[in-house]
Amino acid sequence: MPKVIRMPKLSDTMEEGTLLAWRKGVGDPIQRGEILADVETDKADMEFESYTEGTIEELSVEPGSVVDVGATIAIIRLPGETDADVAAAGVESSTAAPTAAVPLPMPQAPTEPAAPASPAAPPPGLPPAVEGPRVTPLSFDDGRLRATPAARRRSEERSVDLSELEGSGPVGAILLSDVEAYLRELEAQAPEADGVRATPVAFRVASDLGIDLEAVKGSGPAGRITKSDVKAFLDGERRLSVEREDELFTGVLQLSQKRKALIRNMVRSKAEAPHFYVQMEVRADALRQLRDRVNAEAEKERPRLTYTHLIIKASALALEKFPDANATYRPEERDVALFGQINVGLAVDVNDELVAPTVKGCQGKNIFQLAEEANQLIQRARMRKLQPSDYADGTFTISNLGMFGVDRFYAIITPPQSSILSVGSILPRAIVVDDELVIGTVTTLGLSVDHRVLDGVKAAQFLGEIRRLLENPEELTRDATEFGA
Amino acid sequence: MQPSSAPRVEIRRLGEIPFAQALEAQNELREDRLAGTGTDTVLLLEHPDTITFGRGSRPENAPLSDFELRSAGYEVFRIQRGGDVTYHGPGQIVGYPIFNLAQRGRDLHRYLRALESVLIETLAAFGIPARRREGYTGVWIDERRKIASIGIGLRRWVTLHGFALNVCCDLERFDAVVPCGLAEAQMTNMCEFSASLDVSEVLPHLEAALYKEFG
Repeated sequence: MPKVIRMPKLSDTMEEGTLLAWRKGVGDPIQRGEILADVETDKADMEFESYTEGTIEELSVEPGSVVDVGATIAIIRLPGETDADVAAAGVESSTAAPTAAVPLPMPQAPTEPAAPASPAAPPPGLPPAVEGPRVTPLSFDDGRLRATPAARRRSEERSVDLSELEGSGPVGAILLSDVEAYLRELEAQAPEADGVRATPVAFRVASDLGIDLEAVKGSGPAGRITKSDVKAFLDGERRLSVEREDELFTGVLQLSQKRKALIRNMVRSKAEAPHFYVQMEVRADALRQLRDRVNAEAEKERPRLTYTHLIIKASALALEKFPDANATYRPEERDVALFGQINVGLAVDVNDELVAPTVKGCQGKNIFQLAEEANQLIQRARMRKLQPSDYADGTFTISNLGMFGVDRFYAIITPPQSSILSVGSILPRAIVVDDELVIGTVTTLGLSVDHRVLDGVKAAQFLGEIRRLLENPEELTRDATEFGA
Repeated sequence: MQPSSAPRVEIRRLGEIPFAQALEAQNELREDRLAGTGTDTVLLLEHPDTITFGRGSRPENAPLSDFELRSAGYEVFRIQRGGDVTYHGPGQIVGYPIFNLAQRGRDLHRYLRALESVLIETLAAFGIPARRREGYTGVWIDERRKIASIGIGLRRWVTLHGFALNVCCDLERFDAVVPCGLAEAQMTNMCEFSASLDVSEVLPHLEAALYKEFG
């Protein structure tokens, strides 16, 4: 007799396994010890060897299927066996292992309507599960249905949905008496006021799943809606919604953990921190001259200065002067807590990913120290070598989109900080000085502020101080002893 | 004296070695165990930056192509173990127990749970409270944070591959993939709880726990 190969039991607690892949096809010869399939359970992957020599007659489950332990997965025809032997075994395999596999949906698998005589058809295609290849049988899964021939005949005559019955026979088989009792119960059922005719089980299932029975067509006794009707309706709806989604989207981008954290933070910020915005134009001619002069005199061990470095220094000095801008609102305590350190975050884009490494302890550090630290952080960010401590504990953030041609914008505050500085392009523009139209280097600074921490006047004064420092940049280099301003 | 048939375990430290080399070492041991010779052995080592895909890997969990991963400095392997994609790198202890489970009760899940026990006990030695998560093999700090991963291969009851315990690795390096296909999970490491730990401090505790469980 051909050998029926069943899902192996690899542990006392194993109830099912995933048939990952077949290593043999139908018609292939197989030797003892050759690998037939890969089976996965939990986090273990097993090469399933054949203990039988012969030819693969049948592969009973699709790759990716979750299969009960002991269920038939394949049939091997032994050397010298005839077709008749195999035919006999075919019957054997489907009756001896009634715990049918729940196959993963194959997109091309046609969903045949279940014939009344065989309500034990496997459930048709579910949408591919997003969480994993495991398919949980639906509550009305009738894959393990057993009934006597008489019970089947009677239920066919009366359009009874066998999946609604609980069998009282051996191994839970449905008996003729179960069907009769069920029919009597149905007849005793009070007519529904709203005109929907359905079996009690169908009512329950529909209400559990939140389905309006008005939309469902009945095929049961006297046109009643049965559980199978509800299930067929649901499958149709699911198929439609999958088709609709297929039309809407061409693909899905998986997000990194960091991106997800960023999204959470931004949503939280906009939901919790009432933002308001102030904006100032800053003349940057002196700043540009200072930067160029310092860089022209650059010494080897001194980093070249950029506008970003100078803006970090200006922000740090302004935060020192306005300690209540270097603060956070604490909703639980309903107070504003002042940060002990000035830690300036720099929003940096690394391969389409936004990170904000933080220059820590800015107070007391001169422009070159700040520049050096900022450069190292940005370098690490580009190499994706930032440690969590590198972007922790910011108290203020600078975002600069000027190099991308943005003139002015307002960034979202990073909680628990209370403001963020948005720097636009630094370019020559036509400006009015002493009633004369002249060309000057100008940038626009935007400050997004948490109104719980600062009011408009304070925000204006704070941003005004940053502007004053940038327009009088010798103050930014005053504490750099190796560079006389 | 233990009877010669009782399972005993040998532990070998291999230092930092490339994935391919470790796989070769595993295969040699496995051949011995399949042939009925050799001893149940655990290899303890670190890998350079490596991404491995288990047989259960789904493409959406690796947003980067192999080429992109390699350009970002990872070695990439597709291997015969359970579970989805994962990352190995410096600061992470990788353990490869090559055990013949036929001599250890023929129970795969008991073996997986035993590996979890070893890891939980090792973490406890450093005061780090870790636990199992029903339905999610591996060792977890809470519902979200995972500190050790498990994925094994099995052939005729002989195991291959094993576990990875994050001691002080660069967690950013996990970001190239969705570790274990669990998008909502977050990888953490022992350093987050106990600063300035390194692999050499953890190894003796891990070995003691392995001897206790399997020795």
